[in-house]
Amino acid sequence: MSRRRILAWAAGGAAAATLAAVAGSGPAGTAADRAPAATPDGAVDARGLPAPVRPAFTPGRPRALGADRFTSRWAPVRRPATALARPAAGAPAVARVAARTPEGTTNIVLVIGRRTDAAGRVWVRARLATLPNGRTGWLPRSALGGYGTVDTELRVDTARLTATLLVRGRPVFRAPVGIGQTRWPTPRGRFYVRDELTRFAGRTYGPVAFGTSARSSVLTDWPAGGFVGIHGTDRPDLVPGRISHGCIRLRNADILVLARLMPVGTPLTVD
Amino acid sequence: MSGPTDLTFADIDRDEALLEAVAALHGETRAAFLRKAAIGGGALLAALAMPPSAGAAARLTDTAVLQFGLRFERLQATFYTEADRLGTVGRMPAAKQQWARTLGAHERAHVRIIKQILGDKAGPRPFFDFHGSTESDGSFTRTAVAMEDLTVALLTGVTPHMQDRRLSAALFGLLTTEARHAAWARHLVGTTPAARSFDDPRPVADVQSIVDATHFIRASPRLRRRRSRPRFTG
Repeated sequence: MSRRRILAWAAGGAAAATLAAVAGSGPAGTAADRAPAATPDGAVDARGLPAPVRPAFTPGRPRALGADRFTSRWAPVRRPATALARPAAGAPAVARVAARTPEGTTNIVLVIGRRTDAAGRVWVRARLATLPNGRTGWLPRSALGGYGTVDTELRVDTARLTATLLVRGRPVFRAPVGIGQTRWPTPRGRFYVRDELTRFAGRTYGPVAFGTSARSSVLTDWPAGGFVGIHGTDRPDLVPGRISHGCIRLRNADILVLARLMPVGTPLTVD
Repeated sequence: MSGPTDLTFADIDRDEALLEAVAALHGETRAAFLRKAAIGGGALLAALAMPPSAGAAARLTDTAVLQFGLRFERLQATFYTEADRLGTVGRMPAAKQQWARTLGAHERAHVRIIKQILGDKAGPRPFFDFHGSTESDGSFTRTAVAMEDLTVALLTGVTPHMQDRRLSAALFGLLTTEARHAAWARHLVGTTPAARSFDDPRPVADVQSIVDATHFIRASPRLRRRRSRPRFTG
């Protein structure tokens, strides 16, 4: 049956009157709203039917997810928990994980693996902000909140004294850095950025300071535990150089650019 | 797997977050609601379509409807994307993989276009916490079925309220697509794709209550702080 005949059939007889009543929505209906003319045999002339209302928008083509190799996942710590050596209740404890950082921000962990145990419990392998640096542990999924994702990575080259930010694997920012002196070295390894502080009093740390999961293995009695930051400076003349207590210092103009590009949760590699 | 007519809301909503909220909308305790629903031959997903006891739809502007729609589409898009990224979808049978990935791509397309329409009024992306429901086939599927049915109820409720006919035409396009998603999901879990002969509309406030009760949308973690003096090693 042709489309026109189907329409004529559907709208025939009493249905035609109903359609006309529905279409005539107001006393001064537009030409498109008026009842279509009937043919001699009582059917409706489909050419007289109103055109569909043009949608205000139509979604574009659906797109499949792209490659995931540049995506890193982090999760906030919902409640204090003990990280374990294996994904099993009763496994040896590795470290205690707090819900807050020493700066009062929500503590986050970098997620590097997941596993479901025989009982159906999901465990998350996380990079931890504890000494010794580089430690990982398994946390129950229920101790963590929703996942956040980033497609950035910060690499600090302690030989060349540079910091490079990559977005989806491509370098988008590079700046000279100051790193720890020989007696207070910047720890090497894989870490992550876990908070961002701004508008604090004093010029020592510049306008922005990022907290990281890296800790000085020498200055363990430093206030709040000796966490390594990435921040600005009031001594730009010393950058690049080996001049800090372990923190990674950038010139203030550079740290401001980095703050626009680098989200919290970004993995950090120091080598 | 449940048969075509014996799937209950509790089967879908095992964490019962949605159930609690639906029961509250009907002015009942969860237990009373379940009991009543069982007498009727199983709650089915029709629980979502049962008329609530009170509350007419508040007058909504087109922008407010789109903003809520975006929030909900973002919830769905993130849900499917996260399940795919975590490998949950990849471990499913091929037919379910196709379903989950198709729906994920559709929901992301919906987010893109509604964001574009709203422009500055789109608002920031909420922070989502699916409480592990993206991490296993069972919980993912149950939540997806409930979510798709809820979307249909929402769009059925809000579309006639749009003042701009062209916007309502666009929402009708989303509604029919979401209805196909819901039917596809129901088919995959072995229940009736079209459980009822009519889908009752549901006010935005009800849908908001249900979404709130799931706690899928959370306050963003506090990752930035002002005026807190750093104590890093310097």
